[in-house]
Amino acid sequence: MRSIVFFLLITISLLLQSTVFTFLQVAGIKPDLVLMFVVFNGFLRGSREGAFLGFLAGLAQDIFTGSYIGLNALTKMLAGYLVGLAETRFYKESVIIVSMVTFVVGVVNQVILYLLLFYLNVEISPYYAFGQVIIPSAIYTGLLVPLSYWEFYSSNEKGWLRQREF
Amino acid sequence: MPRNVSYKNLILLVILVGITLLVMRFTNLGRNQLSPMEATIKDSLSPVQGVLMGVSKNLRNGAESVASLGRLSQENKSLKDKVAELQGQLYLQEELKQENERLKTLLQYQDQYKSNFSFKTATVVGRDPGNWFGIVTLNKGSNHGIAKNMPVVTPLGLIGRIVGVSKNTSQLMLITDPRSGVGAMVQESRIPGVLEGTTSGGGETRLIHVPKDTNLNKGQIIITSGIGGTFPKGIPVGRIVDVSNEPTGLFRTASVVPFADLHRLEEVLIITTIYNPEILPPTEGD
Repeated sequence: MRSIVFFLLITISLLLQSTVFTFLQVAGIKPDLVLMFVVFNGFLRGSREGAFLGFLAGLAQDIFTGSYIGLNALTKMLAGYLVGLAETRFYKESVIIVSMVTFVVGVVNQVILYLLLFYLNVEISPYYAFGQVIIPSAIYTGLLVPLSYWEFYSSNEKGWLRQREF
Repeated sequence: MPRNVSYKNLILLVILVGITLLVMRFTNLGRNQLSPMEATIKDSLSPVQGVLMGVSKNLRNGAESVASLGRLSQENKSLKDKVAELQGQLYLQEELKQENERLKTLLQYQDQYKSNFSFKTATVVGRDPGNWFGIVTLNKGSNHGIAKNMPVVTPLGLIGRIVGVSKNTSQLMLITDPRSGVGAMVQESRIPGVLEGTTSGGGETRLIHVPKDTNLNKGQIIITSGIGGTFPKGIPVGRIVDVSNEPTGLFRTASVVPFADLHRLEEVLIITTIYNPEILPPTEGD
């Protein structure tokens, strides 16, 4: 059940990112909602599930985009895993902590993606990569965390995303 | 026992990453056609995207109308549209003027700009959800006669080319996409170069591979050169805003801002037929 709800969240995020957020761009940058939900999930559920659902979410984004299948899957799997490592170390009820974690993971995620682009023969100069994509998108994504983390957190505790007790 | 489990998991992970890297390389934009699954997904999602795009536009227009007086907002929009159209005509006129001057020395030159192309209009229904690539989804596909590598323009200038087609949608790669390259030249001096994208978010392109002993200045207008065969010659592209030397010291680089606002595309023109394509040999710098 929670996997289905999470997948619906990812689908809605992709639709919003490709339509609504083109009108909410700041300096040409959109937030990475998919990464934000991957971070939430990893932060609350741990490394293994974070990596697994991160891979699936990234794969959905790659299929949606239609090129370089696996590019976002690998980077978001790594993001989910890294956040999951922080599960037992950070206080889950602090939105500021989650925002900062999202920002840091956003930067790492985009840097890895940037390096993978070199592997795919897409070369972008570091000035443009860091100045126009990596840092701004991590900031934008991090700033959106307070708007949605509590809903995700409460759903995870007792709502749609609750882990069924068998 | 835990050790064996750990090793097995590690091996599985390495295999997964390896397979993903291979698939990644084989699914670049060079593929001839979208796979059936991708085509189905795009075709089925584009109505939803269209609705969301329409709702967003209405909300934004509503907010803008509230922010300014309703009547003035409408008048301002129509005046801006007129200015954009007239500016496009002005750039075309300048190109025609230079063309006319060349005709005085090339008596057999018989190009007529406006009768060279036929267009189809398409609406933007979606964009790439990420920030690296400049891919836009349009609401016309193979059912409407759209094919790969067709150039796409607005009244202001060139915006990109079609890189993927399904029945009812197509994918447009903007000239700001880092994988995009356009054969281009300076309108005044005919200096040739390659216009490459940087990142789609930045909205800028760069003219590279320009010899160092050429006269490259701010404010000069860039048009397509026709080299490469995808883009017809003479389409306005953008204006130079900065010039610098490449690190190697052999070439110069110009930052070019496209005439079209690539962040706010709504309707675009797809060039479906080119009656008189011109592919010129590389010209020497002045």
